[in-house]
Amino acid sequence: MAEEKGLTRAKQIYNQRDKRARELKAEGKKIIGYMCIYPPLEMITALDLVPFRIFGDINEPITKADSCLPTIVCPFLRSSIDLGMKGKYDFLEGLAGAHACDVAEKWCHLWNYYIDPPFHHFIDYPHVVHKASLEYLKSGMNDFTKSLEKYAGKELSQEHLKEEIKAHNAQRALVRELYDLRKPDPPLISGTETLQVLIALMSIPLEEGSELLREVIKEVKQRKDGPQKKAARLLIWGSPIDNVALVEMIESLDANVVMDDTCVGSRHYWPDVEITADPLDGMAHRYLDGLKCPRTFRETTQSYQEDLELRFGYIKEYARDWNVNGVILESIKFCDTHGYEVPSLKDYLDSIGLPNMYLEHEYTMVALAPLRTRVQAFLEMIG
Amino acid sequence: MVTEQKRAINRLESRKLLRPMLDAMYDSGGEAAKAGKPVAWCMVNFWEGDPILRAMDVTAIYPENYGTVCAAMGAAQEYLGRSEGEGFPTHLCGYARNCFGYTSKMVELGDTPPAAPLGGMAKPTFMLSSGAFCDARYKWFQALRRYWDVPLWVLEMPHPGIHEIAMEGALDYTIKYVVAELREFVAFLERLLGKKMDWDRLHQLLDSQEKVFEVWGAANELRKSTPCPMHARDFWTMMVPAYYMAAMPGTLEAYQAVYDEVKSRVDAGIGSVANEKYRLGFAELPPWHSLDFFNDLAERGWNFVTESPGYHPPPLSKMERVSDPLERIARLIFENFMGDMMGAGVEGERGAGMAQLYLKMAREYKVDGMLFHPLLSCRTATFYLTHAADVLLERGRVPSFLMQGDIVDLTVFDPTRALSEAEAFEETMDHYRELRKKEGLGW
Repeated sequence: MAEEKGLTRAKQIYNQRDKRARELKAEGKKIIGYMCIYPPLEMITALDLVPFRIFGDINEPITKADSCLPTIVCPFLRSSIDLGMKGKYDFLEGLAGAHACDVAEKWCHLWNYYIDPPFHHFIDYPHVVHKASLEYLKSGMNDFTKSLEKYAGKELSQEHLKEEIKAHNAQRALVRELYDLRKPDPPLISGTETLQVLIALMSIPLEEGSELLREVIKEVKQRKDGPQKKAARLLIWGSPIDNVALVEMIESLDANVVMDDTCVGSRHYWPDVEITADPLDGMAHRYLDGLKCPRTFRETTQSYQEDLELRFGYIKEYARDWNVNGVILESIKFCDTHGYEVPSLKDYLDSIGLPNMYLEHEYTMVALAPLRTRVQAFLEMIG
Repeated sequence: MVTEQKRAINRLESRKLLRPMLDAMYDSGGEAAKAGKPVAWCMVNFWEGDPILRAMDVTAIYPENYGTVCAAMGAAQEYLGRSEGEGFPTHLCGYARNCFGYTSKMVELGDTPPAAPLGGMAKPTFMLSSGAFCDARYKWFQALRRYWDVPLWVLEMPHPGIHEIAMEGALDYTIKYVVAELREFVAFLERLLGKKMDWDRLHQLLDSQEKVFEVWGAANELRKSTPCPMHARDFWTMMVPAYYMAAMPGTLEAYQAVYDEVKSRVDAGIGSVANEKYRLGFAELPPWHSLDFFNDLAERGWNFVTESPGYHPPPLSKMERVSDPLERIARLIFENFMGDMMGAGVEGERGAGMAQLYLKMAREYKVDGMLFHPLLSCRTATFYLTHAADVLLERGRVPSFLMQGDIVDLTVFDPTRALSEAEAFEETMDHYRELRKKEGLGW
């Protein structure tokens, strides 16, 4: 039987995320798990290790994690460590952790305690973007490289790292090309399909992912049975979405999800790393200042409205470029970094005339069902 | 004839010296604002920002502490409701939601809400967030920009892993980073206030602070004695002035008197509970509104001999002495919050080290059990407790008793139920005491 390609292959990978990783492990490759978008993947792939993004599973009840994590912390992180404790990530040789948020920081240390992988390294990320914090992060990235080198048994030259940065930038450019296909009305690819492709990318080696993207882009451009035109063109903002159920539910209504601002979406692939003389300068800048997660504090200005522009101005650009007419603010319960953001972001969206709604859920399939009615009411409002 | 009921906890007389200092601290914000002096809303920050603020004559007001006051005085419910009405999710930190509600009301009225407890919090000249510990401590004040168009600074504190900080050069570049951020903060204050930092004064403040920490730390060390001479009730009464009033006249003398009294009890073999049957550690903040609960436990022979490591002063004897006051602060941070954990990392411990601190504490204070008080709307305080309970039982054969509570919702803690469960917990402590003996664990 011929190997599947493009969207079908992306869906296959999405449905069985660990399959390729397990094959690679059997071939002798070392798979390094990572949490969130902050561990710098360029260094991992440069040392011939395969990064694999750790997610939870909204379909799986949390049972083991209760012995180490209270119920009042992020259920996404609880679910992912629960899967680890059940052996579902037993193909991982290591964990690349980072101080994304307070809970993720602590989660990394608990993973080390309960899963005890052969390789483990945690990178501390400052909350503020100052010259000194970029220097601090650069030092932390340098230590991360040293740990990886020791584990991989080889050295990483600056020139090799630069080449790897280019390869990652090339994949980022392909993802943005994919996102461009969501700009027409109707979009050429649905939000659900896009999410499947992105989750697939985070589950396979870099070059295989880039090849998959090229196949998907070609297929989507040629096909005639893409999404239908609908009244609402939505942007979803918020905490990690690692399952298509929510987007699928929204797209089953009179809406296309044409853009996102989440870490399993655009935040992972915007922007590129600038190639600098010392590659760590470009890396530190991209990962601390460039990534748009609300975990990073942006300096305040003379007025609240200016602050909002500084913090959320990029969302206005997304809305303009993707012709968005409504925004869903989505957050998993107990997510502080997103939760504190909600009133201010709503203030901003109101100020630029973009209808919006806030959806909070508990990271279970059952919890998603009641949200349908609320989304429907929102769509009627903007329709 | 009326006779005074004898309390089961033998409280220290010297604790009474601290009360006037606490009252003065709570009054200082309003008085400074009335006098037209700069007032900052601050995240609790005694280890880093406070001495610098004091050296610049800025009075700090702590909305976190004010959340406790509002909760205890029954004002929080209204503010929590207002916060929800403003669109803040209800799962956020209870102190933060209390503050959002209070602030929105203050802005609406154009003045301090008339019914606000203790006269309310004065409008800030600026706000000082903190990057230490939880995300709420910088996201909260960022969100307050909706109400206050005043400058905001985030005072950073790194959170390196215990293995990573042990890598060659890591401690040095981390200290260097903290110093750089502190220098930026001083520059921010100088620009804002139009005056220069008085470095000599900062030195003096740090000297005073360290002296108080040393005496207060030594008093707590004496609690390793059997019977334990000082109960957690006294610790909680005295921990706040130790951190926030350390530089005030008379504070050092008061803590010296506390040390002397504790030492005299050790010498005389006097315990803070008459018949010390069980020695317990307490984790996280206590149920402030139900402290009599501890008298009931004391009647059963429960003595609380130590508390969460984070609320104890750092062991200054281990601290490298430096002349730059900002580096001195940076090193204090590391001794206070990472010192023992870094040691655990070097020794090859896995994980974050927080559970190992509890284990070390249990061994040193010969603890029979831990009373954990998870706080429902405080994720950071609660995060490691389940894990710590797991490690304590597995490696120290010390059982834990989890007693739900919250920082603003006082209805969560049920003392009657907790007392009934505590009685059953005695059998568990007895069992593990025997097991520790069998396994040669030393106590």
